[in-house]
Amino acid sequence: MTGGQTIAEKILSRICGRRVVAGEIVMPEAELVTVHDWYTVNAFRTLEEYGVTRLHDPARVLLVTDHEPLAVSPQAFARQQAVRGIAQRFGVQHRDSGRGGLGHVFPIEEGIVVPGMFVLAYDPHVTNYGAIGALGVAVLTEIPEVLACGSVWLQVPETLRVDLTGRMPFGVFARDAAQKLIASHDAALFEDAVVEFGGPGLAALSLDARQTLCNTPVELGAVSSVVEPDARCLQEVRARAQRPMHAALPDIDARYRARVALDLSALAPQVALPPTPDNVVDVTEVAGKPIQHAFVGSCASGMIEDLRVAAAVLRGRQVAPGVRFIVTPATQNVAAQAAAEGLIETFLRAGGMVTAPGCGVCAGGRIGGVAPGESSIGTGTRNEPGRLGAHEAVLHIAGPATVAASAVTGVITDPRPFLRDAGWSMAA
Amino acid sequence: MSDLVLRGRAWVYPDNVAIDGDLMALEWALKRETRPEVLKEHVFAGLDPDFPRRARPGDIVVGGRRFAQGNAHIQGMIGLKGCGVGLVAESIPIGSFRNALAAGLPVLPRCPGVRAMFANGEAIEVDFATARVRNLDRGTEAGFPPLAPHLVEMLRAGGWGPMFRRRLDAMNAA
Repeated sequence: MTGGQTIAEKILSRICGRRVVAGEIVMPEAELVTVHDWYTVNAFRTLEEYGVTRLHDPARVLLVTDHEPLAVSPQAFARQQAVRGIAQRFGVQHRDSGRGGLGHVFPIEEGIVVPGMFVLAYDPHVTNYGAIGALGVAVLTEIPEVLACGSVWLQVPETLRVDLTGRMPFGVFARDAAQKLIASHDAALFEDAVVEFGGPGLAALSLDARQTLCNTPVELGAVSSVVEPDARCLQEVRARAQRPMHAALPDIDARYRARVALDLSALAPQVALPPTPDNVVDVTEVAGKPIQHAFVGSCASGMIEDLRVAAAVLRGRQVAPGVRFIVTPATQNVAAQAAAEGLIETFLRAGGMVTAPGCGVCAGGRIGGVAPGESSIGTGTRNEPGRLGAHEAVLHIAGPATVAASAVTGVITDPRPFLRDAGWSMAA
Repeated sequence: MSDLVLRGRAWVYPDNVAIDGDLMALEWALKRETRPEVLKEHVFAGLDPDFPRRARPGDIVVGGRRFAQGNAHIQGMIGLKGCGVGLVAESIPIGSFRNALAAGLPVLPRCPGVRAMFANGEAIEVDFATARVRNLDRGTEAGFPPLAPHLVEMLRAGGWGPMFRRRLDAMNAA
């Protein structure tokens, strides 16, 4: 076979011990398997039905409690108890409530996930790991097979290459770029593909920003996302890596499904309207629409940089009457850092609420949701009807600056004047 | 001809049929219902509510592009399996394709041009092992990329569950 390889092909080739190309069906062994909250209970119930008493490799399994870290119903208390029992019985690591936070984020912070690693998970947003050049793929029904046997069939995905150019202008953030990207192309381009980010615009993007970029394409049917692990990435992750890194870069003649450019300098703050994340307009087109609910958090935008910009907008201001403003730091680390920097105090003094690290409101509106007829703007991953509670609520998605500015005014608001006022600097 | 052939009538649907709503109401996913005999009564509830009453075993759903797009819930595929039908489409997103195979639903996910081969109700025959599709009324036939052997084996076994059982048995025997 001639022709070069993409990052995804290189990672899967290393795992399979031979050269593989897009389209092949392979059985790659996961180096890490993550399972979240109550899915753990379901997966292990299936294992029990099949008589499985030992896992393929308990050391590769990571159970996390992030969708509902602070259990608020008797049913949830029992589910958490069940997960604790499973972790003990099968001898696997469980990062319980208060012991990590969002499972798509803290493994990056802690070096549990490293460049070039192959991960399978029971949750679509495992694609965050792509921010440091790892390949995370979601498997749903068949996750018990991965737990028991170590692998499951996978079609080596085609890759869509996205070349980033330019630099984001003042008041524009990674979330705006991510939303614009998925709105600018037919979903068929993303479907079943790995989205590979690179290009001259990459170097200026932090690892937090890269997580945001990697989080979003899955909404259009992408299998995963991965960013070229460049010098900036390797420098940051090397010190904390808990295992050998196998950073993979694409060959110069790698074969892509398609190659598109994203000019970061041409962007404005974006707002996704109902009912899907790719239904995106410039904030100026919807400015003035009333909201009653605002949320900053989730695996897409709950990182420290997201909290910093939200706090910059809110500092010395008040959340508008009639608006509930909720902040969920993605991880314990993010929450502690936000506290150290005074961001938490800013949120609280502005009239906001800060919840336990994890997925926050975005996990199906189990906490802090919306009622029928309400309108919300938040940084969650998706905005289909019912995502944050009532079906009859109107859900918008935007970056943290836009969400914070909207919380202050009570209507959807362009954050740029607020950021200018706050003396915000775009230095990444 | 292989052992994985279905023959019946074609049920032709447009592009972008959604998993949730079009193919099956989301409530069945939220209830985690997985019994084929229950779910078969609710297939296409949003798009074609007569389907469960009128479809016969051996019929084939002929989908357009991005058939079963959206949040990959398995209930719609289990429902189709419960009806005894098969599924071919111009394209099926990977999550739904995985679910179809897991449910043991005979499926061909990459059949560009297949929808133009059929009008609703025409006689259709599909060999899921060799990926040959025939319109028996018009006498036309087309071949598409066949499934990988491992996936054909999965269909033959009846879906993910029996394949998983087989793999566990092999591991235990080793």
